[in-house]
Amino acid sequence: MKLQYLFAFVACVCLATVGTHAQVLNRLKQKAENKTEQKAGNEIDKLFGGKKKNQTPGGQQGGANGPGGQGQNNVGEEGGNGNPSNKGGAGLISTPPDVKQNLADADAAYKKNSYGEARYAVQQAMLGVELEIGNKILKSLPESVNGLFKEVESDKVTSTGWGWAGLTIAREYSDKKDKQFTATIANNSVMMMGVNAYLSGGYAQQTSGQQNWKQTKVKGYKAVIEYNEGSGYKLTVPIGQSSVIVFEGINFATEPDMMKAAEMFDIDAIKKELGEQ
Amino acid sequence: MKKSISLILFLAASVATAAQDFNKNIVDARTSYASGKLQDSRFAMEQMLRDLDLAIGKEILKVLPAKMATLAAEENGDNVTGSGGGAGLFVQRNYGSDERRASIEIINNSPLINSLNAILSMPVLGGMMRDENQKTVKIQGYKSVLNKQVNTDTGKTNYELQIPMNNTLVTLKMADSNEGEITAAANTLPLSKIVQMAQ
Repeated sequence: MKLQYLFAFVACVCLATVGTHAQVLNRLKQKAENKTEQKAGNEIDKLFGGKKKNQTPGGQQGGANGPGGQGQNNVGEEGGNGNPSNKGGAGLISTPPDVKQNLADADAAYKKNSYGEARYAVQQAMLGVELEIGNKILKSLPESVNGLFKEVESDKVTSTGWGWAGLTIAREYSDKKDKQFTATIANNSVMMMGVNAYLSGGYAQQTSGQQNWKQTKVKGYKAVIEYNEGSGYKLTVPIGQSSVIVFEGINFATEPDMMKAAEMFDIDAIKKELGEQ
Repeated sequence: MKKSISLILFLAASVATAAQDFNKNIVDARTSYASGKLQDSRFAMEQMLRDLDLAIGKEILKVLPAKMATLAAEENGDNVTGSGGGAGLFVQRNYGSDERRASIEIINNSPLINSLNAILSMPVLGGMMRDENQKTVKIQGYKSVLNKQVNTDTGKTNYELQIPMNNTLVTLKMADSNEGEITAAANTLPLSKIVQMAQ
């Protein structure tokens, strides 16, 4: 029995020793690998950059790379990948295409049988006209809505110049705090399909529980009003064959408040300006 | 001979009509714009785009070959459509008779262009969609997709070659054909000229 205990003790000591040896070996191996990696890294640095990496206490690399090298660069001097960062510029000139000039170009190109050039000029002229229509509508929108004033910087007219496919006019109103009202006038058949699906009665309207959307009327136009806890009120008014006005109100207290804001817009005039029937 | 003369006269008459329409529409666009009727001006411009698409289509028909392999062009069935909008130009010419037919279609802004370009430009995607009846070939330097379709009833093989060039798609179809014949026929098409005119 004593002999058995002795064998067991010797076996435990042996296993512990082997375990310690294994740990020591692992540590040695790791150190060797780290040294090899570091050495290899230094060699690569020498080869490509000619400079040694600076090690920060946190283990991050410092910014001593030359142009084209990687790593952190001094802000204001170089952007990512060592390229210089842009410090300023006037940006693009946002002049809409000259309609008269483009029509003259189209005429001249057509007479020379350069139909491709003529088409490009007509497309540019169309873009110019659509932007003019958009700007005209933007000017006709109210200056303020229920105590919220227009944000001139946010005024936007976008057109693809491609047969009404994407004319969008957007204006924002705010009280510079947390109340905001946005009007977006768009000619977009995809948006129209969505709204018409609601209006055509394909969807059931809830009469109990939380009401998130319902049909309504704005100045005689059928519309859909929605409410979302996160984004507030959204009122979508289809006008004519392919245009739609979307009003969005953030932090409006009640539905009547939202409706009152939307009713300040002359929808008939917008519809007429868009050439809708 | 008589047929060719009548076709030339027909094309000339069509171009003359298109020219009249274009001239009328450009006058309308100018006067409406000058008087502040932006909607009417835009409408006239849309008509001008349609006129131009038709004129371009007719010019393209002129440069298409009179024969496709051994098949003669059926010029009476020539089809040119210009929508003036996003869909743009569509040109079609048929070759041969009912037993053995071929056709060329030239379409601007085809919705197929993006998916074809994806197959041609991404080998990984092309590999995933590997189809034994589809392969990529080069026609006059343009990467193209060649599709083979075997008619199980007749046992005949039909081929379709799709050549996307920027926003223009040229499609050549040949019934009862083989790969050598359709690629040889495609090489007779003035592709660079067609793409230059269509865009």
